[in-house]
Amino acid sequence: MFVEWLRGLAAGVRRLDSVSRAALVILGALFLAAMLAPVIAPYSQSHQIDIVGMKNHAPSLAHPFGTDRFSRDVLSRVLYGARISLTVATLAVLVSAIIGTLYGLTAATLGGVVDTVLMRLLDAMLSIPRVLLLIAILALWSPVPLWMLVLLLGITGWFGVSRLVRAEALSVREREFVVAARSLGAGAGRIMLRHLLPNVLVPVIVTTTLGIGNVIVLEAGLSFIGIGAREPAASLGTMFQDGTEAFAGTWWAALFPGVVMVTTVLCFNILGDALRASLDPRHLHRARVGTGTAPLHTAE
Amino acid sequence: MRQLPPYSLFLVLLAAACADRASDTGGGTMVVVHAGSGTSPMLPPLAVDNLGRAIVDNVYERLAEIGPELNSIGDRGFTPRLARSWEWAADSMSIAFAIDPRAQWHDGRPVRASDVRFTLRLLKDPKAATQYASLLENVDSISVRDSLTAVAWFRKRTPEQFYDVAHQVYVLPEHVLKDIPPDKLATSEAAMRPMGSGRFRLARFEPGVRVELVADTAHYRGRPKLDRVIFSFVADPGAAVTQVMSGQADFFENLPADVLQRIDTSGVARSLRYPGLQYGFMLMNQRDPKRLAVAHPIFGDRRVRQAISMALDRQAMVRNIFDTLGMLGSGPFSKALADTTIVLPLFDRARAAALLDSAGWRVGPDGIRSRAGRPLRFGVMVPTSSQARMRYAVLIQEQLKSVGAQADNESIDIRAYVDRLQSGRFDALLLALATDPARSGVRQSWGTAAFPPAGQNFARYSNRTVDALFDSAATTFDRSRMEQQYHRAYQMLVDDAPAVWLYDPLTVAGVHKRVRVEGMRPDGWYVGLADWWIPANERIDRDRIGLRPAQP
Amino acid sequence: MRRLVAVRLFHAVVVLFLVTTIAFFLLHFAPGDPFSFENPNIPGDVRDRMRAEFGYDRPLMEQYVRYMGSVASGNLGFSHLLRVPVTQALGTVLPRTLLLMGLALVISFALGIRLGVYEVRHWQKRRARASNGISLFIYSLPDFWLALMLLLTFAYWLPILPGGGMVDVVMHEYMGPGQAAWDRIKHLILPLTALVLIVTALIARYQRAALLEVLPSDFVRTARAKGVDERDIIGRHALRNALLPMITLAGLAFPALLGGAVFVEKVFSWPGMGLTLISAIGVRDYPLVVASVVVGAAMVVIGNLLADIAYGLADPRVRVR
Repeated sequence: MFVEWLRGLAAGVRRLDSVSRAALVILGALFLAAMLAPVIAPYSQSHQIDIVGMKNHAPSLAHPFGTDRFSRDVLSRVLYGARISLTVATLAVLVSAIIGTLYGLTAATLGGVVDTVLMRLLDAMLSIPRVLLLIAILALWSPVPLWMLVLLLGITGWFGVSRLVRAEALSVREREFVVAARSLGAGAGRIMLRHLLPNVLVPVIVTTTLGIGNVIVLEAGLSFIGIGAREPAASLGTMFQDGTEAFAGTWWAALFPGVVMVTTVLCFNILGDALRASLDPRHLHRARVGTGTAPLHTAE
Repeated sequence: MRQLPPYSLFLVLLAAACADRASDTGGGTMVVVHAGSGTSPMLPPLAVDNLGRAIVDNVYERLAEIGPELNSIGDRGFTPRLARSWEWAADSMSIAFAIDPRAQWHDGRPVRASDVRFTLRLLKDPKAATQYASLLENVDSISVRDSLTAVAWFRKRTPEQFYDVAHQVYVLPEHVLKDIPPDKLATSEAAMRPMGSGRFRLARFEPGVRVELVADTAHYRGRPKLDRVIFSFVADPGAAVTQVMSGQADFFENLPADVLQRIDTSGVARSLRYPGLQYGFMLMNQRDPKRLAVAHPIFGDRRVRQAISMALDRQAMVRNIFDTLGMLGSGPFSKALADTTIVLPLFDRARAAALLDSAGWRVGPDGIRSRAGRPLRFGVMVPTSSQARMRYAVLIQEQLKSVGAQADNESIDIRAYVDRLQSGRFDALLLALATDPARSGVRQSWGTAAFPPAGQNFARYSNRTVDALFDSAATTFDRSRMEQQYHRAYQMLVDDAPAVWLYDPLTVAGVHKRVRVEGMRPDGWYVGLADWWIPANERIDRDRIGLRPAQP
Repeated sequence: MRRLVAVRLFHAVVVLFLVTTIAFFLLHFAPGDPFSFENPNIPGDVRDRMRAEFGYDRPLMEQYVRYMGSVASGNLGFSHLLRVPVTQALGTVLPRTLLLMGLALVISFALGIRLGVYEVRHWQKRRARASNGISLFIYSLPDFWLALMLLLTFAYWLPILPGGGMVDVVMHEYMGPGQAAWDRIKHLILPLTALVLIVTALIARYQRAALLEVLPSDFVRTARAKGVDERDIIGRHALRNALLPMITLAGLAFPALLGGAVFVEKVFSWPGMGLTLISAIGVRDYPLVVASVVVGAAMVVIGNLLADIAYGLADPRVRVR
């Protein structure tokens, strides 16, 4: 089963056009560089090399991204920052995927009243603006440790996934092998896990991939207003906050984190679009757009 | 005869310049931009931040104004304000002030001696918690000889007794404030609508947006040359700098070093270096923030405080943050009034580490020291309104790592900062205080009698010997003995290391090119505000508003 | 139709109830003094009144009931930052945000739909593909980054527009009506552009996707078979069907706009609800923070309600039911 969907995924990837493939490669490289930051970064994130002599140096061979006003190497900070941004976003999206999948599967499997109640509840929760809610929670509990930030991002973003999962699961539910399983007396849990889950996985993966880019942007925004990731675990968004003051004079401190962040998000979006189109366009679209409740990027 | 023409030309030009000024009937609107969301209450005893003091100094008046050289001994250099003249009693135990009969409150009522008596009582009232009680210890009371004569009575003859009553007291209107319970003063209407006798009146206060002062045209000392001064609030210093550079604002009191060049070449504004009495330091709370009666678990030990002082490369930090615009901190005073013979702890990380070891703080596997299960970890509180101090916090955090101490930066809004500062709920913080022009004012910051709310000894530092030395020095008329005592006291204070003396900022303001600045004194850029002016031919849109009120 | 409205109204009330409950529990379990029962910055009589109203020192359930009751009657607490009741504070700042959001919504929909149609209609041309790429790029930019770039470019490097605020702080009250109107417009341009760019890119993408989804449908094929001009097929037949989801999208655009507005307001110092929220966070004015969430949710709910009603009016399939 695992091999099945791996193969399906590989087929989808092979069908990608050159732009999307380039995006995939870039993402892969970024991910690798970010995760290996502790190994490849020349300095630690907060190390102040020489606060008198090395302050605000423009990019050079020794410091390809320059140094900031505290004489910290910007390249190292960008690597570590990317690591934080990517880790937070990926884990958050994973949390969303898990919760959303469980929720959607439960609704689809149990059906009837349970389904209606769960879906109404979902509609209600979708109406709460995600950004405002996050700001409120983060502000009330500030300062918030990183793991809690991940959790919060995750539990505010699973609504779209669950809707998708439910739609997919509903369509699979009526297929023969499921009907057969049910008539043989298989319990709801078993049906969910063994029959529905594998078929839902691929669209879930596609949606969540697209979601990572949005979460990176969201987390960056929260860090920008000072309630997201904080020093010393600075994400790319946090680096933005100090960099923008001196933008005119020392452009490198804000430009490089910005470029890296935008490139990452762009690649995720390109990839997500392409994967969605190549894997099963019409089916997915109806689930997202046809019911008339297509989630928007920051609401997801 | 040959020399006359150039000389007379000079005279003509001089006369023309004077005529220009004289014919300037006043006018102009100045926008002072302030980084922060508001101000402390705008009543003299309660205004503790720069903005509050700037407003209060122009809306209220003192009995007499200190001279530009800031002489605080006797009454030399003081010029009359609300007190038109004064008379010392033969034994110097009292001074009789004659209130200027022309002086009026902004609501038209005349200023009376009873107002002075009321003000002193309020300042010394422990329920009002004004932080002046410790400074006015020597002023026993004010009595009213007749409606225009207020007599100040002192406990002892001291060199700075005149300064105490003339400079520390802004006279408040009794008829407005007498019915307000002293402990409710801070949240009362009066604190939001200050009414004084100064050359500016409060025109408007929109919380979080602006404070507007308007010229009091009927003032007995002459109206201010400006029509209007608007203090406008922005979120952070960066936004303030942007506003000055684009001409939206006319004055910002604290430019960071890296924008100086850009401001001078902007063609819109200029940088203006002005003397200041501020000194910045990292204060270490001597008491446990959770239980103020108990010593601080980390900073209660003198060795730890000394080690922290020695672990920080203060010179490098000053260079990094201020470039050439700052000097190394020289102790609990600004360089202008410093005793330069005081010996400060040297930068020596090895010794710092040794000290910490001997105090029982051992390095753990993660590089952080701990003792009896408590890690050497503490919060450093910084107000978001001070860019310099925010940057210091980042530098300090990294430097302390090298001796195994973990500092956690807490950047908070100025109001929350002041709250916690006054209630003692902090471990360490970065603070900038202004040195009092009077030497005896040091007791307000470092004396045992000056624990909040009576004074500004926020760390609750207490050393009885130092207290005794300061008290004795404040009452000695023998110059050399006084110097000796101050020196001994300061050296003991510094050896106790209640704070790390970080910097002496060379304050630079950003000023719009059309604004002419007058009378800046080290104890406040705003003291001469009523004499600032804008030449008639350089006025822009906002200067033409005049004195009319806003259309609804 | 009436039934639809009733159901939706009920739904809206349920959502508001849920949000207020969440708000209460947030306030209750947050560290510190979120109800400001002990805040020294509030006048004493106000504090006493609040303690009585919100049930200081009462059991949890009673506090909850009191809170829900207070919110229902419009009392959301007292803001110590602005020294007025929260409802009054929000009443002042909310219209400014609505102005920004409303204008942005209208403009972006107009632009976004046309852009989406254009991209599909001329999908083979380079320009359309470039436009698709550009909207993807803008969609990937963080809101605050875009806003910052605009601010730096037009208020700093080429100082032709004001660097923030809603009106000129000093001069606005002294301007004549024409000048004052122009002052307002000048201050609107940059924040509006930032919001419009983001939302237009978004809508163009969805419009394009919706059109592509609909194009292979039967009725379109029929129209094509009948020889209807290709332009008409896309412009009228397909579009009308693809437009329906867009109406619902308008209702869902509100959360996105709200989020974007917070960052845009911060960058441009636009004194709306977003900026107030950020200031409130700085001084820990919790009642104000939480009230912003409740009001934001209310706005979304109302937006959804209106969109659903519009959808019901527009879609014959729904009406017949």
